[in-house]
Amino acid sequence: MTMRLFVPRDAAARAVGADRVAAALAAEGERTGQVLEIVRTGSRGLFWLEPMVEIETPSGRIGFGPVTPADVPSLFAAGFGASHPLHLGRPEELPFLKRQTRITFARCGIVDPLSLADYCAHGGGRGLERAWSLGPAKIIDEVTKSGLRGRGGAGFPTGIKWKTVADAAADRKYIVCNTDEGDSGTYADRMILEGDPFLLIEGMAIAGLAVGATKGYVYIRSEYPDAVRVMEQAVALARGDGMIGGELRFDIEVRVGAGAYVCGEETSLLESLEGKRGQVRAKPPLPAHKGLFGRPTVINNLISLATVPAILADGAEHYATLGMGRSRGTMPIQLAGNVKYAGLFEAAFGLSLGEIVEDIGGGTRTGRPIRAVQVGGPLGAYFPRALFNTPFDYEAFAARDGLIGHGGVVVFDDTVDMARQARFAFEFCAIESCGKCTPCRLGSRRGVETMDKVIRGERVEANLALIEDLCQTLKFGSLCALGGFTPYPVASAIKHFPEDFNRPRLAAAAD
Amino acid sequence: MSLISETDYGTPLSRAEEQVTLTIDGQTVTVPAGTSIMRAAVDAGISVPKLCATDSLEAFGSCRLCLVEIAGRSGTPASCTTPVAPGLVVSTQTERLKQIRRGVMELYISDHPLDCLTCAANGDCELQDMAGAVGLREVRYGYDGANHLGQEKDESNPYFTFDPSKCIVCSRCVRACEEVQGTFALTIQGRGFGSKVSAGALADNFLSSECVSCGACVQACPTATLSEKSVIEIGTPEHSVVTTCAYCGVGCSFKAEMRGEEVVRMVPYKEGKANRGHSCVKGRFAWGYANHRERILKPMMRESIDQPWREVSWEVAIDRVASEFKRLQEKYGRLSIGGITSSRCTNEETYLVQKLVRGGFGNNNVDTCARVCHSPTGYGLSQTYGTSAGTQDFDSIEHTDVVLVIGANPTDAHPVFGSRLKKRLRQGAHLIVVDPRRTDLVRSPHIEADYHLALRPGTNAAILNALAHVIVTEGLINEAFVRDFCDRDAFEYWMQFVADPKNSPEAVSLVSGVPAEAIRGAARLYATGGNAAIYYGLGVTEHSQGTTSVMAIANLAMVTGNIGRPGVGVNPLRGQNNVQGSCDMGSFPHELTGYRHISDDATRHAFEALWNRPLDREPGLRIPNMFDAAIEGSFKGLYVQGEDILQSDPNTKHVVAALSAMECVVVQDLFLNETANYAHVFLPGSSFLEKDGTFTNAERRINRVRKVMTPRNGMADWEITLAIAKAMGFEMHYDHPAEIMDEIARLTPSFAGVSYDLLDRLGSVQWPCNGAAPEGTPVMHIGGFVRGKGNFMITEYVPTDERTGPRFPLLLTTGRILSQYNVGAQTRRTDNVIWHEEDVLEIHPHDAEQRGVRDGDWIRLDSRAGSTTLKACITERVAPGVVYTTFHHPQTQANVVTTDYSDWATNCPEYKVTAVQVSPSNGPSEWQREYERQADHSRRIAKAAAE
Amino acid sequence: MSGDKLVMMANQIGKFFVPQRGIDPVAAIADHLRKFWDPRMRAAIVAHLEQGGADLDDPVRQAVRRLKEAEARS
Repeated sequence: MTMRLFVPRDAAARAVGADRVAAALAAEGERTGQVLEIVRTGSRGLFWLEPMVEIETPSGRIGFGPVTPADVPSLFAAGFGASHPLHLGRPEELPFLKRQTRITFARCGIVDPLSLADYCAHGGGRGLERAWSLGPAKIIDEVTKSGLRGRGGAGFPTGIKWKTVADAAADRKYIVCNTDEGDSGTYADRMILEGDPFLLIEGMAIAGLAVGATKGYVYIRSEYPDAVRVMEQAVALARGDGMIGGELRFDIEVRVGAGAYVCGEETSLLESLEGKRGQVRAKPPLPAHKGLFGRPTVINNLISLATVPAILADGAEHYATLGMGRSRGTMPIQLAGNVKYAGLFEAAFGLSLGEIVEDIGGGTRTGRPIRAVQVGGPLGAYFPRALFNTPFDYEAFAARDGLIGHGGVVVFDDTVDMARQARFAFEFCAIESCGKCTPCRLGSRRGVETMDKVIRGERVEANLALIEDLCQTLKFGSLCALGGFTPYPVASAIKHFPEDFNRPRLAAAAD
Repeated sequence: MSLISETDYGTPLSRAEEQVTLTIDGQTVTVPAGTSIMRAAVDAGISVPKLCATDSLEAFGSCRLCLVEIAGRSGTPASCTTPVAPGLVVSTQTERLKQIRRGVMELYISDHPLDCLTCAANGDCELQDMAGAVGLREVRYGYDGANHLGQEKDESNPYFTFDPSKCIVCSRCVRACEEVQGTFALTIQGRGFGSKVSAGALADNFLSSECVSCGACVQACPTATLSEKSVIEIGTPEHSVVTTCAYCGVGCSFKAEMRGEEVVRMVPYKEGKANRGHSCVKGRFAWGYANHRERILKPMMRESIDQPWREVSWEVAIDRVASEFKRLQEKYGRLSIGGITSSRCTNEETYLVQKLVRGGFGNNNVDTCARVCHSPTGYGLSQTYGTSAGTQDFDSIEHTDVVLVIGANPTDAHPVFGSRLKKRLRQGAHLIVVDPRRTDLVRSPHIEADYHLALRPGTNAAILNALAHVIVTEGLINEAFVRDFCDRDAFEYWMQFVADPKNSPEAVSLVSGVPAEAIRGAARLYATGGNAAIYYGLGVTEHSQGTTSVMAIANLAMVTGNIGRPGVGVNPLRGQNNVQGSCDMGSFPHELTGYRHISDDATRHAFEALWNRPLDREPGLRIPNMFDAAIEGSFKGLYVQGEDILQSDPNTKHVVAALSAMECVVVQDLFLNETANYAHVFLPGSSFLEKDGTFTNAERRINRVRKVMTPRNGMADWEITLAIAKAMGFEMHYDHPAEIMDEIARLTPSFAGVSYDLLDRLGSVQWPCNGAAPEGTPVMHIGGFVRGKGNFMITEYVPTDERTGPRFPLLLTTGRILSQYNVGAQTRRTDNVIWHEEDVLEIHPHDAEQRGVRDGDWIRLDSRAGSTTLKACITERVAPGVVYTTFHHPQTQANVVTTDYSDWATNCPEYKVTAVQVSPSNGPSEWQREYERQADHSRRIAKAAAE
Repeated sequence: MSGDKLVMMANQIGKFFVPQRGIDPVAAIADHLRKFWDPRMRAAIVAHLEQGGADLDDPVRQAVRRLKEAEARS
């Protein structure tokens, strides 16, 4: 009898040896004469267990992990049974997965990402089907009613954005998927690209139908070569299948970025797509009015688009019942940094930050106490333990001078030097600034220099005052969120960890 | 006198009709929808600090100084990028805004040299102004951080420097290069703190880059980063005078910025309606010839052309001219002398020269250089429409959907219009190019022609007929327009003619070499693509069928109804600054001012009455006829004002023979030009900077020329003509050119309303300007043609007699290049030579290979008229079988090769088609060497001892 | 003036006017010569006609004849 095994092809799993494990499994199968079918799936998102191998059994899939090639003979010897020390049982029963509400990531890690049959067998395609029966206006109604907001970080209601584009008169309109996922500690987009790419295609096709666009672009950062490959294959398969292209009059093209963080900012992304330097555009005009090639354009984060099929398939109400306040539905929280259980955790909005990092994340990997958590990428605020009661919600985080951004959560233990982290925020901005607006172009550099003076203990009070003024200039004067949000990590570090900014140090420490 | 300062509104004018009312700093202001808050504030008299915004460029939003607060909206939006909305309540000055602005300025100055006192832009620097405006008092970052100081200057461009240490990376230069000029030579390289302005690729400097030195970047720069070298050398100007460029027919308005009588720089004038604040390398920078050491400032004469020149007083020179001309007329008859008016001089001056000829010489032997360029336009358009001029203003291009450019290369020859055209194309207008060469318009950054009909030289009329054939046979006629505005019979005859299969694209493709499908596609696009406008140049007129082709163009516009509103029309791109004006002023031998035939008794009598002289009712000699008559012996004396007929007219050997046969050739010019080598009297002329007057550009716009310095030669050109007239016994009295214009207005119905007062008030005016159109006529033939009904003419294609054959298998065509101007008399005496130091022959690789010619080789160019040598430039811009050269350098002698074939109606020479052969050569030909020897000999000036 | 060149120029004019419809091409050619040619050129082409008018195309020949008659009258 053929033994059916599942090994992730996700880049994170491959990074820790999934390919070698798959090869070892195949070799062992050959050696033992066991006929194998090895399905390469996406990742379930439990990275401390990768490479996680699953076997199909009559009572469902059973997981083993983390597996090394050396473990493979013993797995065979144990008949992939519960006796093996790496036996995890049914993955769905693992607390980390069991506590999740998987809507967007329902299929990720389960299906073969390049099998349309698999996709449909696991509920894929129902959203688009229903969209066809609803027609543009009702699709937009559904999306609006679901309460879905932009998962790139800005949290703008997706339905309203779509309606603006739908209402704009133009000879051509575009759907652009922003997959320039550059925030530190984030990987949700990549997991979908590598683990369930048809989901994105379906979401974009629904968006195209809703607003009357005939062309979509998926802009993927160059640092995701695997994702680019999978997505390109998926687009070709979808086109061959008639899911896109042909008579449906909506087609998709995959474009690869060139390594600039700022191209995750929607207007620079559009410039980059047009073949220009990735430089931020002033708004207005909004991309919804004048976007790609001057035409009305829906530009959404991947997660937003990938959540739409489920909303259409199961109805807006189902999605909207989840969450808290104005943050409806679920958010894929990405745990990273110094955390014991690093991985993707999709849950309804409303968990407290403390629950997320302590209960779900299991505290630090080093075992030391958590000192700070940066939420929302490199431009997000640092939260001290005192604010661990903050619920994961757009408004609640904003009220505490923070942001949830794209859902990245990076954990630091008590060895972190927050002055260095503040300096890093400026440095990051200086390296990634497009150079268009003055506050970001010059201010980020001056921020690094001034922070160095603080670290060296030079006129600390005056220089911190200057930093404060600079933060004001950046926050209110910058053209886009890169310069505008750089003050968040800086100011939060100074505010919550003042003791790190007023220590006498050796000058050398600044370097 | 003071420096004219023009208000910078920060962002461009909105054309929306809807008006929006809002409140800014407590003031209510109403502006067109789409206006930026910044511009609305300026309208209300409030200036919001800004650095990256300027009203010639779209808002960019990078400097972050212009932030404002809007009641009910969060944040601090930039006023340049935020449009007005009804009822907005805007504050431009709050504590928060003050703090942000000061914070931004503090950052700027932390990366800027502190050398204001020794900086060329001191007092003319927006960064300096803004530091003051926002109240920056200290830079707390200090000056020891990372910075851009000490970077190397780029001084490669002859006219301006680029000093990156002073750059604030506002991108105004980059945007000007893109949005205004359309060249895309500049970019921002790197990112973040490392962002810097870069010309071309990494290893390039400004000179080696694609930069065309139009000056738009220098104009846009708010600091001293891009500075005119003249400002660095001289200092900032103290007063300015608005005047008109003396190069091409675009007629750009400039502010001559002066220090005393020294020109510091020429700055394009935003209010100038032809150029709207833009310029090209010639008008902006190439004015230094006025002070060139070769300029002649004293009158000179000699008995014969093998003698050296002797400097003489004005009195002696003028007496000599008058006595010689009188002697010739006594000996050879009244018709034995004539004059040539200058298209480089003012309307008033050309008017006086023709007045001198008609009234003083008593004949009509007067002509002008339009003879050799646009005379077919005058005749062709007057026969079809009733007016000898283009139908539109330049602003019209902004409403055009389909542009048909035929026989014109505006990006080189009419650069400022070329930029306006390219801007429209970038906005989405369609383009058809009809030209044997692949000009820049065919494909350049962000521009691509929908159709390039690369026809064989000499087949314009055939192609135009084929375009009409498609329109007629495919039912693309604008029936209503034809019915309402055109002569029915003429239309029916014409329709039968063009519908004939001999005019079909399939038939015409055989003679023109253009695929039939391309002709069909172009015709459909022209007829159905919306507002369609035709722009044409000397590639249409300088043919034996020049006039026929102009008529065919007129037919095309009529049959599709593309006449009589903005965005359409028939637009001749005039070559010289005042070629339109010199024609308007009665420079043609058969016409008085306003294109009225000399035989028309009423018109002639009006002139006779005012001038108190009898006038000859017979047409006089045209320039080529003068040459023929000279060789035949009946034409003996010529007064040439400001035209180098020897270099510019075709068949140089024939011109040499004609000039040599004359007994008195009087040349009035800035320099000892080629014609002067055969002259007996030389009268030093004055430049456009040294006199008052008017030029009329290609859009019929009468622009003022204003004197900014005393004539270096002692007299303005009009005063010299007056002196000759007086010595001839034909006294005229004018104290100022304004009085000459008053006389023109009195005698010319289409100029009846023109006066210097009106010009001062309106800035400029387009004729007709009279009781019916007191403020002029931007677009002609609205609601009907000037001649009544539009007249379709039958335009049978007649191949030129100039044919290729075994001896001369290639076709030579000629043209102009951006940095040089016509015979080069001015531009060769400026640093523009850095871009084009010699004329070269463009030849297709296939033709070059067949002849064993490599790039840069000396080659010999032979035609049945003559031979010359020049260097080869191998390029695919020309098709196989076609070669191309320019005629800017006298050493090249391109016109030794051109023939004396000419247009059937006007004798406009057929410069654009010469059958030639190309062969390898070792260097200059015998003729060139002999010519140079003669020129050197003839240019000798005897030491002042003679006086 | 050179007869050959004037003949060529006159024939060129003829080639334009002959195909025109609704007008008398001979009159139009004569009118063009009258309006644009200086008297010595007209005299020369008339003289050429009187010497047999070699190479003049037929309608042009008629036009020059008509020109000659008109000049004689005025």
